[in-house]
Amino acid sequence: MANTETALKEALASIEGATGAALVDYTSGMALGTIGGSKGFDLNVAAAGNTDVVRAKLRTMEHLGLKGEIEDILITLSDQYHLIRLLTGRGGNGLFLYLVLDAKRSNLAMARHQLKRIEAELEV
Amino acid sequence: MTVISTPPPPLPVRRKPNGPIGPAGTTGSVAPGGPADAAGQVGADGCADGRAGSTGPAGLTGSADPIGSAGPGSPGRAAAPGLSPMLHRLAAERATGVLLREHGTLYLSEGRIVHAESPETPGLDVLLTTGGLLHPDAWREAVAQAGARRRVGRYLVDHGRISEGSLELCHVAAVFDAAYFVLGASGEPARFRYGAVHWLGAVRPVPVAALERETLRRRELLHRIWPDPATDSAPLARAELPAGPPVTARQGAVLDQVDGVRTAADISHVLGRPAFHTLVDLRRLVAAGIVRAAPPRAAEPEDPSHGPPAPDPHHPQQSGAIVDPVSALLAQPAADPGIALLRRLRDALEAL
Repeated sequence: MANTETALKEALASIEGATGAALVDYTSGMALGTIGGSKGFDLNVAAAGNTDVVRAKLRTMEHLGLKGEIEDILITLSDQYHLIRLLTGRGGNGLFLYLVLDAKRSNLAMARHQLKRIEAELEV
Repeated sequence: MTVISTPPPPLPVRRKPNGPIGPAGTTGSVAPGGPADAAGQVGADGCADGRAGSTGPAGLTGSADPIGSAGPGSPGRAAAPGLSPMLHRLAAERATGVLLREHGTLYLSEGRIVHAESPETPGLDVLLTTGGLLHPDAWREAVAQAGARRRVGRYLVDHGRISEGSLELCHVAAVFDAAYFVLGASGEPARFRYGAVHWLGAVRPVPVAALERETLRRRELLHRIWPDPATDSAPLARAELPAGPPVTARQGAVLDQVDGVRTAADISHVLGRPAFHTLVDLRRLVAAGIVRAAPPRAAEPEDPSHGPPAPDPHHPQQSGAIVDPVSALLAQPAADPGIALLRRLRDALEAL
């Protein structure tokens, strides 16, 4: 149902404390869609950089021989949370959702839950 | 109709002498717009930028990624020449039509990119159907029913064949993928045919500036992973390693297709993945020493790319053909793993 823009808009509107979101292809590092962000926080740069985070983790898992799949990756800064959720749908091969949260205004468990729902709506 | 005359495209400041870049096409020749041809055809910007597409070991320093968004330190250099001056003009005049370049085509609608195709990349149909998102029959039906009205994309969504989000994502992936190659080095002048509309119909138009920025970022990304573009187009072979490092699942799928014959484009079609993604995975595999370009004379009868060969049971005549493997190896200095390693070291050092 939802197109990319709608899904991202919904992420920003419905997740408490969300300040930016991007849908990212982690092989090319390209943001297929972004919403929010600011002059001081370029989501395209964040998208490209966070592909390295995802890739590093995937490689480490290969080295360790772990067979599980990454569901999400959480990075906590002193004032922000960055949440990366890998998409698993048929066409979602190699995509992740990237969400920036204001630590003071957000509820992490709720945000994870909401992000899962938005992924399902994207139907990728 | 309209004929745009263009100045010659800017010559690159540095051009790698042995890169696969033809100097041809820098003259900005203008094709005569024949009166019988209602569509104005314009020749220009054949080789928009000499460094296009090929980032040789020492080629892409300094002038790389002038407006790329990858590096946080690069926002101020936006005045660099674009990839295609002609494309800029077409965007500025909000043109509708198709830009034909050596490695593919870009469709514009009111100055924005609505579609791109290149023979180097799998088309949208391959991306959609290989991954199981769409049944090939559904695609054929949509093309038959809505192709003439140029609303194939809309038809697929309206008939519930695919979600709008999936179509958008696959389409945008296909557009940026093809554009990477279309905007690469070109030895022929480009032409623009006004009024042409693609049968897919608009899905999500992309501004020209965004397309160029991403294309430059992609070049820089490849260069950063591994500076030698040899594996982008050559047949590929596995390097014989005693124990290769583990690879990720996506790279493993690419590696499985490396057979001494297939090229990156072949592998992309087989896997139904964007071709640029295959280039990325391949350069990583090359950097890890797992894959290399097959030696140019890797003819099937001797196939030196597979190292000390076990006789292939399917080709029993081959074992007889390799009469003297030692001289075959000597004739192929690149087959010596030690020399190959030294070359990679040299390339890596040059790239620093």
